Amino acid sequence: MKRGGVIWSWFWMALGILYFFLPLLATFLFSLRAVKGVLSFKAYQNVFSTGEFVTNFSYSLLWAVLTIIVGILIFVPTAYWVRLRLPQVRTAVEFITLLPFVVPAIVFVFGLVRTFSQPPFLIVDSPALLVAAYTVLSMPYMYRSIDTGLRAIDVRTLTEAAQSLGAGWGTILFRVILPNIRVAILSGAFLSFAIVMGEYILAQYLAKPAFAPYMAFLIQQKAYEPAALAVLSFALTWASLGIIQVVGRGRGPAQIAGGH
Amino acid sequence: MTHLTLSNISKQFSGTTVVRDFNLDVKKGEFVSFLGPSGCGKTTTLRMIAGFEVPTTGKVILDNVEITDKAPNQRNVGMVFQAYALFPNMTVAQNIGFGMRIHREPESAIKERVAEMLALINLEQKGKSYPSELSGGQQQRVALARALANRPQVLLLDEPLSALDAKIRVALRAEIRSIQRKLGITAIYVTHDQEEALSISDRIVVMSQGQMEQVGTPFEIYNFPQTAFVASFVGTLNTTDAEVIDPAKKLIRIDGVQLETAEQLDDRQKGDKIRIAIRPERLNFVSVEKKVNVLDCTIENITFLGSVVRIQVTIGSNRFNMDTFNNPFLELPKIGAKEQVTCSREAVLVLKN
Amino acid sequence: MTTLVEKRDAPKARPAHSKFSWAWLGVVPFFLFAFMFLIYPSSTIASGSFIDSNTHAFTFQNFVHLLHNPNLIGAYWISIKISLITSLGGGIFGFLLAYSAIRGGLPSFMRSSLMTFCGVASNFAGVPLAFAFIALLSPAGVLTGWLTAMGYNPYFHGFQLYTFWGLSIVYMYFQFPLMVLVIAPAIDGLRKEWLEASENLGASSFQYWRYVAFPILLPSILGTMILLFGNSFGAFATAQALTGGSINLVTIVIGAQLRGDVLGDAGLGYALALGMVVVMAVAITGYTLLQRQTERWLR
Repeated sequence: MKRGGVIWSWFWMALGILYFFLPLLATFLFSLRAVKGVLSFKAYQNVFSTGEFVTNFSYSLLWAVLTIIVGILIFVPTAYWVRLRLPQVRTAVEFITLLPFVVPAIVFVFGLVRTFSQPPFLIVDSPALLVAAYTVLSMPYMYRSIDTGLRAIDVRTLTEAAQSLGAGWGTILFRVILPNIRVAILSGAFLSFAIVMGEYILAQYLAKPAFAPYMAFLIQQKAYEPAALAVLSFALTWASLGIIQVVGRGRGPAQIAGGH
Repeated sequence: MTHLTLSNISKQFSGTTVVRDFNLDVKKGEFVSFLGPSGCGKTTTLRMIAGFEVPTTGKVILDNVEITDKAPNQRNVGMVFQAYALFPNMTVAQNIGFGMRIHREPESAIKERVAEMLALINLEQKGKSYPSELSGGQQQRVALARALANRPQVLLLDEPLSALDAKIRVALRAEIRSIQRKLGITAIYVTHDQEEALSISDRIVVMSQGQMEQVGTPFEIYNFPQTAFVASFVGTLNTTDAEVIDPAKKLIRIDGVQLETAEQLDDRQKGDKIRIAIRPERLNFVSVEKKVNVLDCTIENITFLGSVVRIQVTIGSNRFNMDTFNNPFLELPKIGAKEQVTCSREAVLVLKN
Repeated sequence: MTTLVEKRDAPKARPAHSKFSWAWLGVVPFFLFAFMFLIYPSSTIASGSFIDSNTHAFTFQNFVHLLHNPNLIGAYWISIKISLITSLGGGIFGFLLAYSAIRGGLPSFMRSSLMTFCGVASNFAGVPLAFAFIALLSPAGVLTGWLTAMGYNPYFHGFQLYTFWGLSIVYMYFQFPLMVLVIAPAIDGLRKEWLEASENLGASSFQYWRYVAFPILLPSILGTMILLFGNSFGAFATAQALTGGSINLVTIVIGAQLRGDVLGDAGLGYALALGMVVVMAVAITGYTLLQRQTERWLR
């Protein structure tokens, strides 16, 4: 690149850095303004000590963990069988895993509420529906992560070796395959974690306690506490993605559909 | 008349010297190869001629104009890259005509030249195809045509054939050479394949670790290698240690056997340890009574290579290769047999390290 | 494919109750799950939009009503407008940023830092992002305060955060990082030899861009912008949290419809939702096709 070109590069980078950091900085500063005239962590204290915060945050954690577990239970065997024995359904499966991108969250919850608030499936009030919906939301990332992980190991040979040693399918899946795709699963899990923790639409419209709706509620009530929550939210997202980078050795983080 | 001169060229990358003391005069229309293993500096030197690297010291002079500091798009040298580097968004014809379009030549002239180039590389029907539709060999020919269309003063080729199959390589290198001869264009060709370099060059520069080892015609390089590196890199070679017995009579000893060489030993003294080399094809079984350079050996192994039969023999503590032409009606010795082999005085090469 | 050939052998080589049937059993949970919680609910949207909410008969009336409702057409128009603006703006800015970091001559740590930041930023959408910009640019915001202290109050010059343009600025926050992340591999795919070959043939930097680099990157840039368009079109939480639902976007209307039938016609709500899905499907298809074209050239 010519020397003049580098100046432009620095210019765009500086602009990008400014645009990226200013809102975060503002949020952080805002969160320190709870006490008039003094910078303090009062807002954090206020928020973290309320029962409501603990409840909502814990529920989000619960949803996230459940989503990850359900995801692993459903997607690992599926990806395994597709790779090993059923290549002909591969296109159908991949199409399905891409569908959540085509159906925006607000439309998805629209369909969910309409479908499940009438008999015979009157489960609109059940937390199971929320977890199922979150699993669907995390599917593109979870499934793809697992699939990538499986692609990297020789599934066929591992299976045949285990079979020749007398292993049944359960053993093969959970004691041979699963440990070898640990990194891929972790990647998918942390991405799902970040999605669920930040997810607003499904929790709000399925009327379940969660972190993001709580934050939205607080914005109406308080000035500085939401900022503390926003900082926490950002830190959580950063941590999740950071762990993926470390664990997944730099595989590019993908965009999340659910949060916005 | 020198067309291209590289004078005292050296190149350093953050402390490591990659090329040093490179001096070369190339005549107009000459085909010179830079030959050496990976990392020897041959590609770096080529890129300094093209302008993609700037020499740390030294000058590049083309047709009496110094171009050392000129930008690569001002030099009028044509480069053929190892990875073809054809522009994927343009057809073959557009690729070939790209240089002329940049220089704002009239469309009619471009069309004519493109047709001329397509005929030169025998791809007249492929003008409207895209590079992704062509085979590797075809793409390389288009790359060649693209470089030549611009009427460069020098043609630079950076291992253009290494990504291709062996058979295509052999055919294409002959084609490149014939095109170069037809156009009379000066060419520098970088390769690590010694057979390639030997078969198409007017002269070869053998390089190792950034240094020029030897410059000469293929004949000279092969038959009179000056250093151990050149001798071992070009062709197969039998090497062993020897001791000087009599410098004046050019007598040396290997493993208790006396050999006579035709090389000058005047700068050596009796008892000096030297390294000698003998080409496999210069060893023969003794057919008539000979007194000089007769060596006792044991047959170890016989390998049939097609037109050549390679016989491995043990002479004293040395294992030598001996190449002889295939002759179905000539009986070969059995493995384990004891035979006598000989070579002429001129075949015993003394290596300077 | 080797697996296919082996599978043809499998039934013969193994007994009738072969593992073949186990495999199908293995994927049944997935298909069941996907059907129940994704395909079926989504299809009710499709079917619901063709059913009259009163008579439950098949009809196209819902779409007719949609097209004749100025409010809803307005919502579509505003959604399209904001998506166009943020996909163009985010696309261009994201591209410049990505190119600067990858090929712009900057130190290599800038590239990995940029990728990390973009990964986080593209996920940092929704409620927290809305609040971050409130903290930044609301009348009581931090930046507003700094600028006012320097003598320039943006609100005196017509700036409003809780408007279309304010929302656009917020949307850009997750749009341009997405652009960076998706276009980075394409920029990587620009081989160094193409630049060298074009220089060797006499082209200047500008000519290289005009004739080689830009045409090669164009399908990827366009495709990603289309992806950005879809991304913005389907966004809800950010707009809701920032403006409380006061901006007329298709997603906001659907949200309102969910909470209480504001349209007065359930079928219309379905039609609206289906319209969204169609737009998204077209966007994803466009993106996929253009990506395939890119891959062909940057192989």
